[in-house]
Amino acid sequence: MAEERVIDGRGLMPPEPMELTLTALDTLPDGEELLLLLYCEPQPLYGILKQNGYTHRSQTRPDGTVEVRIKKA
Amino acid sequence: MQPGLSFEQAPPISVPFRFFLTAPLFGMAAGLLLLWQGPSALLSRWTSVALALTHLLAVGFMLQAMCGALLQMLPVAAGANIWQPKRVTQLTHAGLTIGTLLLVAGFLGEQALLFQIAVPFMTVSLGAFAVIVLVALFRTPALGPTIIALRIAVFGLIVTISLGATLASAFGWQLALPLTEITHVHAAWGLGGWSLLLVAGVAYLVVPMFQLTPPYPTWLARSFSVTLFFLLTAWSITWLPLQRPDGLQVALACAAALLATVFAVVTLRLQGQRRRKVTEPTLLFWRLAMACLIVAAFAVILQQLNPGSEDHAGTPFLLGVLLMVGVFMPVISGMLYKIMPFLNWLHLQKIGKPGLVVPNMRQMISEPRMMMQFRLHLAALLLLLGAVPLPLLVYPGGLALIASCIWLEWNLIVATRNFARFSRELEERLAKEQAA
Repeated sequence: MAEERVIDGRGLMPPEPMELTLTALDTLPDGEELLLLLYCEPQPLYGILKQNGYTHRSQTRPDGTVEVRIKKA
Repeated sequence: MQPGLSFEQAPPISVPFRFFLTAPLFGMAAGLLLLWQGPSALLSRWTSVALALTHLLAVGFMLQAMCGALLQMLPVAAGANIWQPKRVTQLTHAGLTIGTLLLVAGFLGEQALLFQIAVPFMTVSLGAFAVIVLVALFRTPALGPTIIALRIAVFGLIVTISLGATLASAFGWQLALPLTEITHVHAAWGLGGWSLLLVAGVAYLVVPMFQLTPPYPTWLARSFSVTLFFLLTAWSITWLPLQRPDGLQVALACAAALLATVFAVVTLRLQGQRRRKVTEPTLLFWRLAMACLIVAAFAVILQQLNPGSEDHAGTPFLLGVLLMVGVFMPVISGMLYKIMPFLNWLHLQKIGKPGLVVPNMRQMISEPRMMMQFRLHLAALLLLLGAVPLPLLVYPGGLALIASCIWLEWNLIVATRNFARFSRELEERLAKEQAA
């Protein structure tokens, strides 16, 4: 069962959430998931993930929080 | 910071920056026109000077900055890719800049020939921009209230351009058209259907993101743009040359103004709930804009409920100052102070490699310099509003507007130069590391 690391970017000013996410991806082992919480869809991050062999799934909670789950493809 | 991660093909940084650096120049020109014409600029909304002034601010400053922001925002925030971004940028920027000059010169010189040149020039460049952006907005897989608001806003821009081209054609070729009615509808779509909806669509995204507020309530984000669109459409139909239902026209205008008030109040409330109680320039610009939107909306309602008040020369000037200098110029200034540092950071990341720390956003434009521009802009707004009862205040008001726009321009130049400097430094450090 893969573990999950969490970055809560909801109280952070851009580009802090992206900086933290990219740093965390450096050390993300295969099979593990990184969960990013934001109040918006991080479009620039999606482009970076796609180009660098990561997949993501995102869904919006009722309170408007967007959950982005990232792992290596 | 992040080894091996490459960035997607975002448009080059010069795409939005050329629009941002041009916009304040037209704000300065508006201030100069106020100084030149003095209190006569307030006499009526229909004078050549008033029309030139309106278009220097609405097209020269506002539309210029908004087009640049939209071209950059679509790929970054909405995942929408623009067809041929470089060519579209060159065409739109040239069309807007030269077109605004032609239009303003046409108004001031009352020269039909200038309108005859401006009409095809602006219609082709701005029309192509609007259609290309609209196609990108319909092709993006992204969903949500921002996309819906932006789609309707760009449709509003197309309506505004079409009516503007019709009016300018009437000046250029002496066509007998109902100019007053078309002008009312043109102005309402330009300020409400395009500008306000664009601000709302952007606000849903950037207010929570940059000001750390809770998200906009779903009921507002979902219904605002669609409701405003229907109100504007219905109101526009009441101007058709039929037997005019005056009561319905007033009711629809008041409903649209109340809706704008709701958006402003919700935005102010969200900003009051921000998680970091830091007062920074963008927040102040936005709060000023929302306060002015509420005052402007009430002024519209009072005007609607008191037929004949529009004949009072000060009323259109008051509304114009409130909406353009009070609402849209502050929102744009505040946004530019977030967008430019963010884009600098994003583009510097492309150069960065492991171990190379990219300068953070706060290093791009200093906060005291942004605060200074806020104070100058506030002074310009208050003086120009004061010029309604005391017309001589138009002189210090015009001066303050010029000073605010010079300060804004300088701050944006500093951000641009910092990008160039940081890029050079990063490339030099990279070259040294590779050599070692």
